[in-house]
Amino acid sequence: MTVVAGIGYVLIALGPSLSLFVSVISKKPFLILTVLSSTLLWLISLIVMSGLWRAFLPLSSSSWWPYSLLIITSVGFQEGLRLFFWRIYRKLEDILDAFADRMSKPRLFLTDKMQIALAGGLGHGVAHAVFFCLSLLTPAFGPATFYIERCSKMPFFLVSALIALSFVTIHTFSMVIAFNGYSEGNKVDQVFVPVVHLVAGLVTLVNFAHEGCLVGIPLLYLMALLILLHCSKMAWRRLTENRGRLESSQ
Amino acid sequence: MAQRQRPRCSLLDSLGEEIVRIVTPVSICMLLVVILVSVLNSSSSSSTSVTTIATIAYSETDSDSSWDKFVGALLNSLVFVAVVTVVTFVLVLLFYLRCTKFLKFYMGFSAFIVLGFMGGQVSLFLIQDYSIPIDCITFFLALFNFAVVGVLAVFMSKMAIFVTQGYLVVIGMLVAYWFTMLPEWTTWVMLVAMALYDLAAVLLPVGPLRLLVELAISRDEDIPALVYEARPVTDHDSGVSSGNQRRVWRERSGSAALNEPENSTDEPNPNPGRVSVSNVETELSAPLIEHRMNMDSQETRGEDDAPGENLALEGIGLGSTGAIKLGLGDFIFYSVLVGRAAMYDFMTVYACYLAIIAGLGVTLVLLAFYRRALPALPVSILLGVLFYVLTRFVLEIFIVQLSSNLLMF
Repeated sequence: MTVVAGIGYVLIALGPSLSLFVSVISKKPFLILTVLSSTLLWLISLIVMSGLWRAFLPLSSSSWWPYSLLIITSVGFQEGLRLFFWRIYRKLEDILDAFADRMSKPRLFLTDKMQIALAGGLGHGVAHAVFFCLSLLTPAFGPATFYIERCSKMPFFLVSALIALSFVTIHTFSMVIAFNGYSEGNKVDQVFVPVVHLVAGLVTLVNFAHEGCLVGIPLLYLMALLILLHCSKMAWRRLTENRGRLESSQ
Repeated sequence: MAQRQRPRCSLLDSLGEEIVRIVTPVSICMLLVVILVSVLNSSSSSSTSVTTIATIAYSETDSDSSWDKFVGALLNSLVFVAVVTVVTFVLVLLFYLRCTKFLKFYMGFSAFIVLGFMGGQVSLFLIQDYSIPIDCITFFLALFNFAVVGVLAVFMSKMAIFVTQGYLVVIGMLVAYWFTMLPEWTTWVMLVAMALYDLAAVLLPVGPLRLLVELAISRDEDIPALVYEARPVTDHDSGVSSGNQRRVWRERSGSAALNEPENSTDEPNPNPGRVSVSNVETELSAPLIEHRMNMDSQETRGEDDAPGENLALEGIGLGSTGAIKLGLGDFIFYSVLVGRAAMYDFMTVYACYLAIIAGLGVTLVLLAFYRRALPALPVSILLGVLFYVLTRFVLEIFIVQLSSNLLMF
């Protein structure tokens, strides 16, 4: 539906990430590199999963249980990759601290670490939006639009952009929660993130039902809201603790 | 209540800055080529088969079998690489015989051809497609001025660096767009062949590019070539430690955990051109001479009228101010890969873009590690081709299956 609509769909899916990028991430080159590398990691995980499942595709679009298996395996793999990302980040943190000591600059602050986690999460979110939503948006720049039967109230592009937006939020902030959980050893956080990711993935199976997206999309946004609240609570707690600790040590 | 101090400067403020400064123009060039390809190719239908040096051995037609196409593409690429090798050796010979003026004149001439004729052709396509109302004389005047300023920008080092960098990106974009008009199999096989050629030409002792670099270093001269230098475009406004921050490679004494460029902090130094001594370690940062490792290669582009040759640069090295230099040939081949991926679908574009940037990052890390001129093509191109193949044959159906059923994770 013309270039204007195409750009509109892109901005629905990626608007908040763009503003996050411009306001927080573009100021620090290291964070830009973190975004790029976590996007690459997500892409590699997608390629591996699609390689594994290639022999079984295309699946018939009537039964939903093979898709649930697909989603469960993919989410499991990605959560494993998040752990791997955390391990790499720990090594990187040590290298950066050693580098900072050598340059007699201050070591990484808590805000730095959270910003790196945010950048990592943003990379995942942007990769999701790009591959699941944007790569299908090419026809939207043309003269017509497209509806699918299962969700006939809104154009297909709009539905997929909305779903992508919720997932971007989920990915971005669950990385912050996860890194915080790993660094503090907080079991609740560590389990919370994979569970929410899995539940969100399975909730999209609701879209299989006729007009299921009317239920599926609000549920997804509920999960995104949950993640946002949890993340803000955790971040607030850590930052006030940190500030209290800094002020008491002065 | 304690006063709120000024924001603490953290380590992350400037780490990784050079990498971002080289990744940004590469990304812009790729983006422009993708936009050009998707805008111009969607409207024009006929495959205007360009007869160039690169298609001299075999012209691909749709009716051939895959094996024929592959063999034909292989022949084409072999011819192309052979021509490039010969021309690079000619360049080394000319440089050896100190015909620098001729080389500079030739480069200016080829930049003018690219900006004037290729740029004009692309503008004509755009004007045709969008029915832009413009008359001949205005168009000619504008194009001529554009081309002349471009030639001046590329060769006068006194020009504002933003203008120079902009023109280099435009030249890279135009040449890359023309390369995407080659037939498909030829493009892919040629990219791989050029990556292998680059590897051989830079690393083998008999390779022409290595000879060129060694000649330039032994004579302590600059190679006349088209090179993108990632110097800072605007001034830093990052507080006290700005000013003469230059990053150069430094020799490290003792065991080093990392070989990385370091900031030399500023002492009150009246000479903006010199490299400042660090406070932290009493080592003299290597002055201007040491690590200018530019590399050169020929790059032939074909045209219907004149098989002109373009002196472009391939390879990555360090400039005299410690800024990273990337040859224009690298820009061009990266953009050709991404442009060709754009002709299939946008998913391949994103995948190839990430692969190329990852390859560029790996090359930069290797550059920091080995501290000599390195070929920038092989890693990126091979990763890019790998990701293109994987995305096209494996990833696409997976994603389309899932997202057309509105299933995402």
